[in-house]
Amino acid sequence: MKCLVPLLFASLALISCKPAGGPASAVATGKPKVALVMKSLANEFFQTMAEGAKKHQAAHAGDYELVVNGIKNETDLAEQVGLVDQMVSQGVQAIVIAPADSKALVTVLKRAKEAGVLVINIDNKLDADTLKQAGLSIPFVGPDNRAGAKAVGEVLAKKLKAGDEVAIIEGVTTAFNGQQRKAGFEDAMNAAGMKIVASQSGQWEMEKANGVAAGILAANPNVKALLCANDNMALGAAAAVQAAGKAGQVQIIGFDNIAALKPLLADGRVLATCDQHGDQLAVFGIEAALKILKDKTSPADQQTPVDVVVK
Amino acid sequence: MRRWTDFFILIAVLAAMIVLFGLMRDSFFSMGTLGTVANRIPALALVATGMTLVMVTGGIDLSVGSLLGFCGAVTGVLMADLHWGLALAVLASVAVGAVIGSTTGAVSVKLRLPSFIVSLGMLEIARGLAFLTTNSQTKYIGADIEALGAPFGGLVISPAFVISLLVVAAGQVMLSQMAIGRHLIAIGANREAALVSGLSVDRPRIFAHALLGALTGLAAVFNCSRLGSADPNAGTGFELGAIAAVVVGGTSLMGGRGSVVKSFMGVLIIATLEAGLIQVGATEPVKRVVTGLVIVAAVLADTWRRK
Repeated sequence: MKCLVPLLFASLALISCKPAGGPASAVATGKPKVALVMKSLANEFFQTMAEGAKKHQAAHAGDYELVVNGIKNETDLAEQVGLVDQMVSQGVQAIVIAPADSKALVTVLKRAKEAGVLVINIDNKLDADTLKQAGLSIPFVGPDNRAGAKAVGEVLAKKLKAGDEVAIIEGVTTAFNGQQRKAGFEDAMNAAGMKIVASQSGQWEMEKANGVAAGILAANPNVKALLCANDNMALGAAAAVQAAGKAGQVQIIGFDNIAALKPLLADGRVLATCDQHGDQLAVFGIEAALKILKDKTSPADQQTPVDVVVK
Repeated sequence: MRRWTDFFILIAVLAAMIVLFGLMRDSFFSMGTLGTVANRIPALALVATGMTLVMVTGGIDLSVGSLLGFCGAVTGVLMADLHWGLALAVLASVAVGAVIGSTTGAVSVKLRLPSFIVSLGMLEIARGLAFLTTNSQTKYIGADIEALGAPFGGLVISPAFVISLLVVAAGQVMLSQMAIGRHLIAIGANREAALVSGLSVDRPRIFAHALLGALTGLAAVFNCSRLGSADPNAGTGFELGAIAAVVVGGTSLMGGRGSVVKSFMGVLIIATLEAGLIQVGATEPVKRVVTGLVIVAAVLADTWRRK
């Protein structure tokens, strides 16, 4: 036990110095320093985003410096708040952040802005009311999840006929992008006259979505389609459709266009998904930040493209 | 005699749940529901079996959810990227599980650290390894693994289900009929007494952890077979379901008392509850609250009867 205590401190020291491990200060090189603060880098989606950003920086190494940080767990708000503080004290010119929570990060971002740091919001949009209360304006650079989900939903609607029963498998119910995708699915289904008989959360996870899909199929034998708020859940739903012996009778749509979905899109088990260009999402944010820093323009919201992907 | 009373109470709870859900939703009484439940329980049943053996010694293993993710990740990479056959991938997954499980066991037993803490550390390590192995990406495996989790011979049950039943039976025989099982219970009931009477108290405990790890490795393959893919996030929170099933089945957290078959009843109760709540369309908050209440109520009932 005795030998474990120093070991523990050593590893804590190691962990705590990791986020500060960026290159020499911006003042020395004259290049702007941009901090990318992500959610969990263990998540495929955010990892792709971070890798896209690193590639972009490598191609534009003369233009700016990049520090990439992520938190361990998507719900670990305290860790992300700490990261923002550290980035500010490191003297970065801009922070591009995918907030782990759309309200809880506002206070620390206000601190960052007051310290003269440009803040750009990507991925998960900060809550408009909270921003207003804090007297803060932070530009959002990102895709319109609702429009994307609606577009995939419209592709699905063409395969169904009015009055058909459909079900939605939602993401984490507190996540704004999850709520937007659900709303987009509903827009498309209501417009086409479909009947939404169930809408439950699969918590963004394949296994949980599989259970939810199996339950929905058993409880609603006439369901013709499962609308999943991400691709991992679409994979879980596809397995549930197969297990229920309903292959080919139930259409599935997803969101994100992850690599693992390709074989299912190819053979039609999944009809369509939505690509919001994950590898470019952070890049869009960084480019917006660089432009504002260079031109001294006042920041504004910016929409990035979403595309429907079939087969 | 009391063993049988316990058993009938568990069956009564299960029956009551089925009737209740059936009344709330007609479709609950269907082959579809039976298939859904039968399809979902193999992984949980295997891990609950191993967990029972660890918990009768007074130990616990919190790393099984992460280990399920890691072994699944190994299976996914071997089959999807390196094109290994199913048999070899199963062996690899079980071996990885056994190595990790025995590491947790050996560190805890030999260094005299609580298994709660050691396995908490392993929970983080195994999840990290799962992300590293897959580069944080979901691996699609497809038909090569799906047969294991798919119903066969026109029945609603899968090979995975049959194998898990056999493992439960073997686990019960091991715990109640064989020397090793009585040995594990004796360690959990009173470690000093076991030591004084000349029993080895270290090796059986490490063995129980290793067996739990190996079973988790097999469970990981079953989980992948059900989904056709390996998700490095798989099994998050799975340890709680397994521990809940074991505790609902009447195994004491303090050790010295437990039954694999009753843990399996616990698995059936948890799985039926989950399927039922989905079918009646319960919202996420309601699901969590009800599941929590059922677990506490089941343990409370068990404790009261023993007084």
